[in-house]
Amino acid sequence: MAATLCGTLLAKSGWLPLTQCGRVRHMSKSVTRHKRPMHIIKQKLMAVTEYIPPKRLAAGAYPSQNKKVEVESGLVLLLKKEVKKVFQDCKMIAVVQNNASNSEDMLTLRHRLHKHSLTVKFFPNQVMRSFLKDSEFCNMAPLFIGSTVLIISTQGKVKEMLSTLRGSPQMVLLGACVDGTLLSAQGVQHYSKLPSVSVVQGELVSGLTLLSSRTASLLQHHPARLSALLQQYVSQQGAPAAEPRPQESEGVAAQS
Amino acid sequence: MAASSKSSVVLKAVKQVMVQMCPFESNVRSTREFLFMVGSEKARATNMNCEVSTVVKHDKSEPVVDVTFTDGERLVMKGAKLTGQEMLQAFQSRCLAKDTQAKAKK
Repeated sequence: MAATLCGTLLAKSGWLPLTQCGRVRHMSKSVTRHKRPMHIIKQKLMAVTEYIPPKRLAAGAYPSQNKKVEVESGLVLLLKKEVKKVFQDCKMIAVVQNNASNSEDMLTLRHRLHKHSLTVKFFPNQVMRSFLKDSEFCNMAPLFIGSTVLIISTQGKVKEMLSTLRGSPQMVLLGACVDGTLLSAQGVQHYSKLPSVSVVQGELVSGLTLLSSRTASLLQHHPARLSALLQQYVSQQGAPAAEPRPQESEGVAAQS
Repeated sequence: MAASSKSSVVLKAVKQVMVQMCPFESNVRSTREFLFMVGSEKARATNMNCEVSTVVKHDKSEPVVDVTFTDGERLVMKGAKLTGQEMLQAFQSRCLAKDTQAKAKK
């Protein structure tokens, strides 16, 4: 009765309740306390359109906003100080790769090197690389990959080191820093073949004085030749004067 | 440095391994790893006659591993774009194949 009354009232005011917008479904509730079971089609749709997050991030896609400052541990700092000291004191630092030599071989090698006052040092590659990238020896950094060993010497005994390393085939010389100069393996071999400093200095001095000595010899050439000729003349004159004396003495002896 | 501990390197069918590299280049890591694996005590103990030689150059050339087998076959690996694992796998597969061939002949 209320509906018909409403219907007549509304009809009079000119607004008809449309069946479409006023459609009310008299089915189960939309808001429930338990989870409402989804229609199978909706379930399928949800399953197909599920979000799959990307597994790996592309490098540089999301750069970290806070740059993590790595604090180096005490041991690393200590080792770095030691490395710095080594680089300051030693004239020659060679980098050698050892292909898993056993302890006996290592001992023999260390003994042989110790005879020539060469020391073998082991440092972790991380420490070496972090030290080298700050120092002036940054170009040595690519050498420190894998198991490497440092051979150091306060006097640059390169020849002895090479001859000792030739004895152990598994130690491969990669490069060396001699007198602040970075050398490759071939450079080290050339360096070992160089003559000593005194010999080189002598050669240099003789080369520089060559011109002046040639000038001096040219100037002295003529008087020297004259004096030589005169000496020869004197000696020739002296010889015929000496010959008649034995004849005179023979004559004197015959007379007496 | 990743070391494959699953299978050891057997050099029985290998006559000579020649490794050529420039240590100052940045593409040498895999070759050095390969050299480390092949030059280890265990590997050398499998065949005392096998020579593992290394030539260290400084001419920006690519790292090359040249393996000569006992039957004359050669395996040349250019390590610039390869990883150590790939090189080792290729080498080991060939070594094993040769080994099985030799055993089958016996």
